[in-house]
Amino acid sequence: MLKAQIIKKRREFHVNVSLDLVRGTSLGLFGASGAGKSTVLACIAGIEEPDDGYVKLGDLQFFPPSRPLHKRPIGYLTQEPGLFPHLRVSENVSFGVPKERTTNIEKSRWIETLRDRLQLGPLWHAPASLISGGQARRVSLARMLARRPALVLLDEPFAGLDRQLVRELIDDLIFWSRTLGFSMIAVDHQAEVLKRLCPEQAIALEEGEIVQRGRWDELDAAPATALLRSLLNPL
Amino acid sequence: MRVNRRWLARAGATIFALVLLYPFTALFANIGPWQWGQDVRGPALSSVRVSLLLTGCAMGVIVAMGTPVAAYIARCQTGERLLWQAVLLIPILLPPLALGILLTLAFGPYGAVGECLEHFGIVMTNSAPAFVCTQVYVGMGYYVLGAVAAFDAVPVMLQKQAALLGLAPWKVFLRVTLPLSRLGLAVALSIAWVRAIGEFGAVVVTAYYPSGMPVQLWVNLQSFGLPAVMPLLVVFLAVALPLPWLVHVLAQRHRHA
Repeated sequence: MLKAQIIKKRREFHVNVSLDLVRGTSLGLFGASGAGKSTVLACIAGIEEPDDGYVKLGDLQFFPPSRPLHKRPIGYLTQEPGLFPHLRVSENVSFGVPKERTTNIEKSRWIETLRDRLQLGPLWHAPASLISGGQARRVSLARMLARRPALVLLDEPFAGLDRQLVRELIDDLIFWSRTLGFSMIAVDHQAEVLKRLCPEQAIALEEGEIVQRGRWDELDAAPATALLRSLLNPL
Repeated sequence: MRVNRRWLARAGATIFALVLLYPFTALFANIGPWQWGQDVRGPALSSVRVSLLLTGCAMGVIVAMGTPVAAYIARCQTGERLLWQAVLLIPILLPPLALGILLTLAFGPYGAVGECLEHFGIVMTNSAPAFVCTQVYVGMGYYVLGAVAAFDAVPVMLQKQAALLGLAPWKVFLRVTLPLSRLGLAVALSIAWVRAIGEFGAVVVTAYYPSGMPVQLWVNLQSFGLPAVMPLLVVFLAVALPLPWLVHVLAQRHRHA
């Protein structure tokens, strides 16, 4: 479903990563801070443009040439929830729902489903600028799901959250990926987060290059580098 | 302790305001009885109408032309942005009288553009179009530079998020960039308004008629002396201030955290 080769020059090294992701599966991009994981996601999302390579999602060519952001059917969650502060929570959630594709009743039902499943009812009419960081991540997740993306990119979206909330958000993401059938690529430097979120497969990056790819148990059993071994070891 | 500091800051701001407004105490200077007879009142009220109506038109042109330009400049790389900013600074830096002379030469009957406009019945000296055109040139730089700063203050990532949520660039602009830059745009517009409605040097060259308030102040001073200037000055403050102030009030009321 997603086929990509991302080549991007960075100041310290070149990122060169190839990915092949089947529909409905998930992939964890693992590595130390600054290994180039976020660059890969940003290039797939279109936030950054690769210097070379290609990105293709199903029949849609993302790069080259660079496809406009609004024509990429993806969800992109980062550490910053990026809510629109001038809108209410409800307006944020329904922000990206295409009006022409759904009737008002269908749209309302879908938004209400998300509201109830993600427990946003009590905040529904609150201004987005006044909710807490944890609540904002939930709203941000609902807003992304509302558009029914084909591919979800997660760039350390749980950083700074308490473990209970991280567990809940991961369970929510897994539930919705099965319900909506989207694929996921998640980036984190904490292996335990990725193992829970993307249990099927992992790619380990060091200085922009893939040092190992496979199942998590394979990485745990025989890490390809000393740094990877150190990163995989529990604290 | 915090309360004391707050009061200290407030006292400082009050002193600042008093110094800023000090020249207005001259309104109470002993210059004899103010003149507001029919010979002063008629032209004065006519100048109020001219100023409000034509400055309003100029603001419409400034917002319509300046907003997209500012949005474009806000997205430019540093080098190109500096070039556009230099272009905008030129009419601002120019002494108003010099700007008036240049506008008259460029748009007047002896220039190619002026000749062409006259062909279509648009006279660009001592006319309403000349008045509006001058005010556009006077206020445009202030508005666009302010608007660029306002657009710069909107986080780029929010705009990209909106695009990733399926919004075409113009929709991102309308639904995210514009609402989030509203306060800055309001400030930019109010500065352009204040600058344009109070403009004398350029307007007196290009559009002595129809006389706006600043030109009428000059006429009153020449014809009747200070007693005929003061009432028009009060009228000027009364009609020129509310609109930009209201813009600030509305922008503050809808301001997000």
